Amino acid sequence: MENTLSTKKTKQVDTNKTPFTVKELKRQWILVAIAVVYVVYGIIFYYLPLVGWIMAFQNFVYADGITGSKWVGLYKFQFLFRDPTFLKVIRNTFAMGALNLVFSTVVAIAFAILLNEVKNKWFKKSIQTISYLPHFLSWIIVVAIVHDALTSTGIINELLMKFHIIDMPFPFLGKTEWFWPIVTFSHLWKETGWNAIIYLAAITSIDPSLYESASIDGAGRFQKMRYVTLPGLRPTIMILLLMNMGNVLNAGFELQYLLGNGLVQDVSRTIDIYILDWALDARNLDYSLGTAAGIFKTVVSMTFILVSNYIAKKRGDERLF
Amino acid sequence: MSDLSANRVSRMGDGVSRKKKMATEDLIFTIINTTFLVLFAIVTLYPVLNTLAISFNDGNDAVRGGIHLWPRIWTLRNYDEVIFQRDGIRIGAKITVLRTVIGTITSLAANALLSFILSRKKFLFKSGLSLFWVITMYASGGMIPTLILFRYLHLTSSFWVYVIPGMVSAFNVMVMRTYMAGIPDSLEEAAQLEGAGYMRIFWSIVTPLCKPVYATIALFVAVYHWNSWFDAMLYNRFDPQYTTLQYELRKLLDSVSASTGGQVAGTSLTSSAVNTITPVTVRAAATIATMAPIIALYPFLQRYFVTGLTIGGVKE
Amino acid sequence: MKTKKLVALALASMLAVSSFTACAAGGKSGSGITDFTMFAAMAGKEKDEGNEIKEMIAQKTGVRVKESWLTGQNAGEAIGSIIASGKLPDFIDGGDGSITLYQNHLLVAWDPYLEKYPNLKEMYTEEEWDKFRMDDGKIYWANVFGNHYKDDTTTGHNGEAFWIQARVLEAYGYPKIETLDQYFEILEKFAKEHPELPNGTKVIPYTCLCEGWKYYCLENAPMFLDGYPNDGCVIVNVDDGVDKPKVVDYNTTDTAKAYFKKLNEEYAKGNIDPDFAIQTYDEYIAKLSTGAVLGLCDQYWDFAYNIMGPFATPIKATDGSSFRLDQLGCDYVPLGLTAKAGMQNQWHTYGDELNQASGCAVTTACKDPDKAFEFLSRLLDQDIHDLRFWGVKDVDYLVDENGVFYRNEQMRENWKSDSYKAKHTCEYSYMPQWMGMSKDGKNYMQPAEKPEEFRAGLAEPLKKAFEAYGKSTYAEMVGSPYIMGAEKYPWYPLWSWSNGISSDTPGGIAWKKMGEEKHKWLPAVVISTDFEKDWNAYMDAYKACKPEDFLKEAQDEVNKRLKTAQDHGWKAS
Repeated sequence: MENTLSTKKTKQVDTNKTPFTVKELKRQWILVAIAVVYVVYGIIFYYLPLVGWIMAFQNFVYADGITGSKWVGLYKFQFLFRDPTFLKVIRNTFAMGALNLVFSTVVAIAFAILLNEVKNKWFKKSIQTISYLPHFLSWIIVVAIVHDALTSTGIINELLMKFHIIDMPFPFLGKTEWFWPIVTFSHLWKETGWNAIIYLAAITSIDPSLYESASIDGAGRFQKMRYVTLPGLRPTIMILLLMNMGNVLNAGFELQYLLGNGLVQDVSRTIDIYILDWALDARNLDYSLGTAAGIFKTVVSMTFILVSNYIAKKRGDERLF
Repeated sequence: MSDLSANRVSRMGDGVSRKKKMATEDLIFTIINTTFLVLFAIVTLYPVLNTLAISFNDGNDAVRGGIHLWPRIWTLRNYDEVIFQRDGIRIGAKITVLRTVIGTITSLAANALLSFILSRKKFLFKSGLSLFWVITMYASGGMIPTLILFRYLHLTSSFWVYVIPGMVSAFNVMVMRTYMAGIPDSLEEAAQLEGAGYMRIFWSIVTPLCKPVYATIALFVAVYHWNSWFDAMLYNRFDPQYTTLQYELRKLLDSVSASTGGQVAGTSLTSSAVNTITPVTVRAAATIATMAPIIALYPFLQRYFVTGLTIGGVKE
Repeated sequence: MKTKKLVALALASMLAVSSFTACAAGGKSGSGITDFTMFAAMAGKEKDEGNEIKEMIAQKTGVRVKESWLTGQNAGEAIGSIIASGKLPDFIDGGDGSITLYQNHLLVAWDPYLEKYPNLKEMYTEEEWDKFRMDDGKIYWANVFGNHYKDDTTTGHNGEAFWIQARVLEAYGYPKIETLDQYFEILEKFAKEHPELPNGTKVIPYTCLCEGWKYYCLENAPMFLDGYPNDGCVIVNVDDGVDKPKVVDYNTTDTAKAYFKKLNEEYAKGNIDPDFAIQTYDEYIAKLSTGAVLGLCDQYWDFAYNIMGPFATPIKATDGSSFRLDQLGCDYVPLGLTAKAGMQNQWHTYGDELNQASGCAVTTACKDPDKAFEFLSRLLDQDIHDLRFWGVKDVDYLVDENGVFYRNEQMRENWKSDSYKAKHTCEYSYMPQWMGMSKDGKNYMQPAEKPEEFRAGLAEPLKKAFEAYGKSTYAEMVGSPYIMGAEKYPWYPLWSWSNGISSDTPGGIAWKKMGEEKHKWLPAVVISTDFEKDWNAYMDAYKACKPEDFLKEAQDEVNKRLKTAQDHGWKAS
């Protein structure tokens, strides 16, 4: 056992590029045949709807269709980027997405590792089951509870006043600087247990003999966590991180929509909320504007993915493609 | 892992005395860790217990707020209202169970096969096919083109719109692929020497070793299907025979929070049109009632990823 | 073994699915009853399958309509996706999206059917129908609300007012309250003298909802305080005569500044709920339901129906006795406040308010539009109308020897229960309906309008308050002069225009941006510690939205409506 799993894999990823030969193609014909089926499926259900992107360059009216609607060139994009509000919502979306990415990844990993250290199976199972329950509550319910706790008469203000940390109730939900932390916390609260499931599954793939040999070498618990568990999780962490990079601009809609209010709207509104307000207004359905914003999101996401995938490749880490 | 080896060397000397120290260290860690996890569990359990308490409370009383972990005025009426008074819930339950079962099986199979292909180190189009699927995660044509496409494929107003379009999920494939890539090549090579084809390898070597990740993905997909409501609304809005449980629940939840735009501002609506609020208690009961069955699934899958596998033996 | 089981399970489920796919074909059911669908782009509650009154109506009319409502989407998303899915309901109320449906040629014109079905034609006068005409000269929908058969018999005040708990008025011998100063003074005094309810709940002198579009509770009071009716978006000044209306922005008037300054001062004094700016609608209703809030500004329908239940439920007091909030006098009395004492207010306007921006429509997907319109017409027949709003004779209402309908306590309770409504009642609430007196001249179209039914529903302290002021209804209590809004002002209500204004004109964009800035700044100036500075900052941000673009379009609309009326022979009275 010279190597841990991850180093072994890294090498393989980097060196094994099978040269394209007819012989090889014949040998793996079954793989290729199946791949073709998947490509056809993917084209139908994922790539065909992308034709709709044309709408972003039109003043799309449903009755006239894509062929009949008026062309407006880049007007919709100009409208977006000339609107200071749109720039603000990009900032908000990005900030909340990034905070959420960092914290939910770190906390979920920490939780998975700590849970893995529990020896008592019953306790372990119970904690894990409990931890993932809030995932099934809708945001409406979670936000109602968060709201309830943070109002002037809520439990948080009550406690702070009891311990004389503050004399007057603090308006957490009316303060712009508190909005992002509250959103991040709400996410953690609801999703940590759920996010940890994937890491717990990945931990099972770590070769138990690694722990044994580490023990023989006199490694303590922290060392084992640091030098066996964490490296064992590395491929999973990298893959999830890479994929979630592309989701930074999908920071969400419902949570911010429900939690926000007039006082904090400068920091609470995300791109999706903006689209809802401006493009999905029943009085003037502007699918073109919504599509333009969607294209912008996709372009940014793909850029993130390509760059981080490139970096991962350079570093010899797990990568997406 | 030069780090580990360096550590190993430095630790060689003080073997015995360390063992004792480690035992106390261990104990302290266990205590702290347990306390931490228990606290964590309490914090995460609170919203669920709160919802549970409200679901057993009288509606008019609950509106006043202030219910935390225990109902003030007990009643079972909310559950009666949710489960027994609504046809939609019954039809929805049937469809949801069906789509969860069928959807999970088909999706798991589809994802596993694609992951298998993508995790074959010798596969010629590995990178290209991966990129092809990664793109699908971020590029979306949007609601309208998708709707139009499904209409032409005759997927609207049908049950199969729940199963077929979402069968392959790039996210799940990437997770599975990563896991499969961790299975040593030696196994595949040995099987190939014995004349096994790719399908044999997939079925008799990779699949048994992938139980934890299969369980994880099955859980993800099952929960996705169980919780879905948007597709039911979008594609089967006027086909109540294909409604889903969560769509019915959502209708209950939303009569409170739906924004109706400026429509009724200033109009003199009749009371019958305005009074659409669902008591918070009914919402809570609906949430608990739909949560319970899917949570019951968890312990069955849990053993695959909590216990861990002894794949160490086959590794070398 | 396991795999086999799974495969078997999968096969079984597929069979099950395909079997009930087969029997799902809808349309005409055996008994000759046509099934239609309806979508309303509003929140609402679905009726159960086999709803009793729905079945009775189906037996009589041969039509059964399955209604569905907005869920998890806004009206725009819903209308957009319904259009794209190509599957439209037979009836639709598109709300704000009605115009989009029209633009996509998805609605059937009412015109030929209006001639065929006098019931429908009777809903509006020729002039009113003209207001519904689209730019192609045809009528595509009819708004169904607030339309009185003959006279306005309104007992309630569905609109906006500053509301105050009856017990506050009672405590000080029912004083006359005309201005904000008097209003807040009495609230403050009462809160100091009675800081708690019998169960220990702390009172909140004043709260104000400002969530989402319901921030009108905070926003539009200056319009009323200046003595103008609810045009919703602007003041229409008629100082130069009703035929020379001038649009004025109520956001920048001296009254507006004075009003917000007043709120700012009261907030600093602790008389306004510290959470007013962040509360959600649910929290607001929860707060009101505890009986703790002494005063508020809102439209009646927005809060009153939701607190009736809690107010009528016994609560335990700290001394162990039990009490009810409505009997304690927590019910709200409307006050028609004005900027200065002695001014005339128009918080309440009489007569119908026509909202031509949306309404009930029949879509091109309907296979038998004639049947659909016939059904709409039948719904207005008195027997069906009574079934919809009064229910079944002897089950939901009783008839006395004079043929007058009335309800007993149990019947009233039933009609408040959600499950009873889902199972039994069928209002078809977004389809044509009447208010006012029935065609027999004895009864009322809708129970809530019957003065006795109305009074029977009032708690003792509320009755006492009405008596003390010598008024018998909410509408009288507000104290607005008897002005038929829409008759006196041909453009009234202008919100029927501004609610439907789209963001593809400069005025529309300005209107939207003004809304966004107001959302942020109005609560901010109320809680501000430096009012003047923040007010100026607000005014700067507000002016940057170019409100003049909006005002110009508003003026144009007023002129247009005035001209249409004049063409129909309207003259300033």
